[in-house]
Amino acid sequence: MEGFVASKLNEFEQGKISRRTLIEMLTLAATGLYAADARAQAPAGVKAALVNHVSYTCPDFKQAGDWYSKVFNLDQVGLKATEVTLPFGKKGEQPYNVTAKDVPLTFIIFRTRDLNAPPANGAAPRPKSTAVVNHIGYTVADFERNRVRDQLKAMGVANVRDGGLYSLHMTDPFGYDVQISGLANNALTDG
Amino acid sequence: MERFIADLVAKFETGTISRRDFCEGVALAAIVYAAGGADANAAPPSGLKMLGVNHISYSCPDYRKARDFYSSVLGMETLKDDGKTRVNLAFGPAPGKGGSFIVARNAAATAPAPVRAVVDHVCYTIPNWNDARVDAALKAKGQNPTGRSGSVNVYDPFNFQVQLASSEAENPFI
Repeated sequence: MEGFVASKLNEFEQGKISRRTLIEMLTLAATGLYAADARAQAPAGVKAALVNHVSYTCPDFKQAGDWYSKVFNLDQVGLKATEVTLPFGKKGEQPYNVTAKDVPLTFIIFRTRDLNAPPANGAAPRPKSTAVVNHIGYTVADFERNRVRDQLKAMGVANVRDGGLYSLHMTDPFGYDVQISGLANNALTDG
Repeated sequence: MERFIADLVAKFETGTISRRDFCEGVALAAIVYAAGGADANAAPPSGLKMLGVNHISYSCPDYRKARDFYSSVLGMETLKDDGKTRVNLAFGPAPGKGGSFIVARNAAATAPAPVRAVVDHVCYTIPNWNDARVDAALKAKGQNPTGRSGSVNVYDPFNFQVQLASSEAENPFI
């Protein structure tokens, strides 16, 4: 990027392009970098673009949904007899930093169900997993650990504790570990 | 952005900033633009504003098998593989710009804390969905996808359910 800027600046200084052209080209290049970055995410074959949803099963889906709604300011949609859905935003919004129109907002489905029950449609029973998702980390806006810790404690959130340099952990109503952080905690900084 | 660059040009012309500062300023502006505007980072007056899933902490008997599955089948990028117990598997936007990752690690020897909830599956969005292409791609990786149009399920090496879906098949507002 800097090399391109320098070359255009040279052309401007040599009178090859006008001031207006310089500004337009640099604006296009700077915003085009974002578009190129988005294109780099385009799938080749099967490539995960984003978490579509997390399926969370617990003894009381409504209690869990209400807790996550309160803590994360999430609306509830699609209330059914045994589940509720919490999207990470409003209808029509795009996921953070995603421009592709066929990537919807991530959501959590809170369910109450027997995971060991045989499928109603006669499908093969769910095999027993030897892996476990022992916590999920969520990215929140404007994360400042001390301020957020105070906020969570004021809301009565249980077991709020520091998690490394960039995050906090807490426990949801069913003892599930929930981590929150800002953008600083990512695949390059974690671990 | 255009106004910002115009200001930089004016400062360069008047000698307020150097040539190097000008070039770095434009490059930095591009990076900030790519990372999202200030509005997107603003927290609400109270509570938290969810931007997305940061990571999924996945514990299993052999992290290397999980690494190979998620990188091969779902195209995730392998980062910070310590070669012994854990790896980060990145996907989505770039790290630090809203991207997510799976932390796949070997299960700890100590018993986990008792919980009454379980994440029983995770679904990933596959853009540009095409039933035949997804089915063929998964079978080429030795998977046995089952499901419906726009949504299929496979099991990872540790029988954890992995759902793949299009934006139409799994969308909270449809």
